[in-house]
Amino acid sequence: MKKFFTAIFAMASTSCALAQETPTSPLEISGSVDTYFKYDFANNPLNSKTSFVTDHNSISLGMIDIALKKKTGKASFVGELSFGPRGQSQSIPDAASGGSSFHIQNLYVNYDFSDQFSMTAGYMGTFIGYEVISPAANFNYSTSYLFTNGPFQNAGIKATYKFSDKVSLMAGLFNDWNVYSATRGVSAVGGQLMVAPVEGWTAYINVLSGAGFGGYGTIEDLTTSYQITDKFKLGLNAANYDINDDTVPGSYIGAALYPQYAVADAVTLGLRGEYFQYKEAGAIPKTSFTAVTLTANIKSGGLTFIPEVRLDHNGDKPFFKENGMSAPNAGQFSLAAVYAF
Amino acid sequence: MKYIFFIILSTLSINLFAQQKQFSKDDNGKFIYYKVVDSQTVSKATLQKRALNFVNDFYKKQMKLASQTDSSVVASGKLIIDKTVLVIGHPSGEVNYNFTLETRDGKYRYWLTDFEFIPYKRDRYGNFTASTTVATPLEKERSKLNAGEWKAIQQSAYDKAAKFGQAFEKYLATDIAVKSQPKAPQVISTKKW
Repeated sequence: MKKFFTAIFAMASTSCALAQETPTSPLEISGSVDTYFKYDFANNPLNSKTSFVTDHNSISLGMIDIALKKKTGKASFVGELSFGPRGQSQSIPDAASGGSSFHIQNLYVNYDFSDQFSMTAGYMGTFIGYEVISPAANFNYSTSYLFTNGPFQNAGIKATYKFSDKVSLMAGLFNDWNVYSATRGVSAVGGQLMVAPVEGWTAYINVLSGAGFGGYGTIEDLTTSYQITDKFKLGLNAANYDINDDTVPGSYIGAALYPQYAVADAVTLGLRGEYFQYKEAGAIPKTSFTAVTLTANIKSGGLTFIPEVRLDHNGDKPFFKENGMSAPNAGQFSLAAVYAF
Repeated sequence: MKYIFFIILSTLSINLFAQQKQFSKDDNGKFIYYKVVDSQTVSKATLQKRALNFVNDFYKKQMKLASQTDSSVVASGKLIIDKTVLVIGHPSGEVNYNFTLETRDGKYRYWLTDFEFIPYKRDRYGNFTASTTVATPLEKERSKLNAGEWKAIQQSAYDKAAKFGQAFEKYLATDIAVKSQPKAPQVISTKKW
């Protein structure tokens, strides 16, 4: 810890020294801390089929997330580490085996060749999907099936060209999903088209093809949000993933809708309605989930309380009743506290 | 020792007083940063020229010219609000404003108003970006839950507006020809001493 602080102050001092020579930003330190309580209505801890918020009837830890950013002239870096269950064993990959290490959220360098064109290399939060690992950046505390089954992060090199504030294009070469070093070479190609047709509406059309979960495959993704009025915002995520070998399970298709309404300056209510299907793979039949999550965000400064009720359904009965019998439905209540700094 | 204690106490008092400065309100109940500046040695035409140069060149990344006449300049701009202690911190939002300058021979006045705050949020790549397109007027009252943070934002916006004002006044008081001349690096000769 001492070394960590020494390093931070050394970097801060360097920024002072460099400030006289090149345009430089202060060293940015930010992050979040989160904790939660969850209760499964069937009193069964196995009813969580999505990432995180796994513990039942327990006041449990999420993670502490610490990010550093520094920009000097046209060059910048971001380094972001997380510690705690959400950032260790429940994220992929855990930096060391055994689930007791830490997770790298972002670790990359960026260079702005001009106001329009920049290049980035390293390990980055994925450009696919609506939700992310950090609870401070999500509205709902639990996560969607689309998030759970898609990539979390991508290591690679990417170039972004900003045509205007309304259109930009990214293209890059990436390793396979969620790995610090490639297991199958730099074997995926990805792209993102961002368009902002009207003020408040932003849409990302994403494609990632190559080495991924379950072999080689292609994911197409649409992530968009529209601030329709001062109080009402609507988000949408739709994705399709096909593994080239159709006998391997893991291909999916799904969509999630995120309406949110600000009832007061400190309180916003939101719903997540999701349909998700694992596609048929060889002898394994397809199976479909529907889930509805009602969430409130109550903010006071950096602190956000997130009470949430979640109901899941699957006709193939992957859930459990209190007596251990299989069930088509599951329901959970959770209360989370997230502090972002 | 007593002197050191006295100096520290005085410095803290100055800081406390400095933090008390806040926006005044205009006829419409909106926050305004308003200054009348006496510039006896500078003509109206020169003030206009320097002000346009300030908006279009010196502050071009933060300001955008909206209109101009022979005695006024109207522009919009933004101030970045940050949570920074010494050299460590991060941006927490931006405050958009409208800027108006009116010039006469020997004096000018300017004001910043229509302040609106847009909060920043850290995105998936660790960068702070606008979290919404909904801007909140800076003079608006907030609920008790967020009153403390909102007051800090208002204070920070005032400090940034004051800093902007200082930079603007300094720019208008300085000859553009002098400003644009590259400063020659100082040469120290070791041959004679």
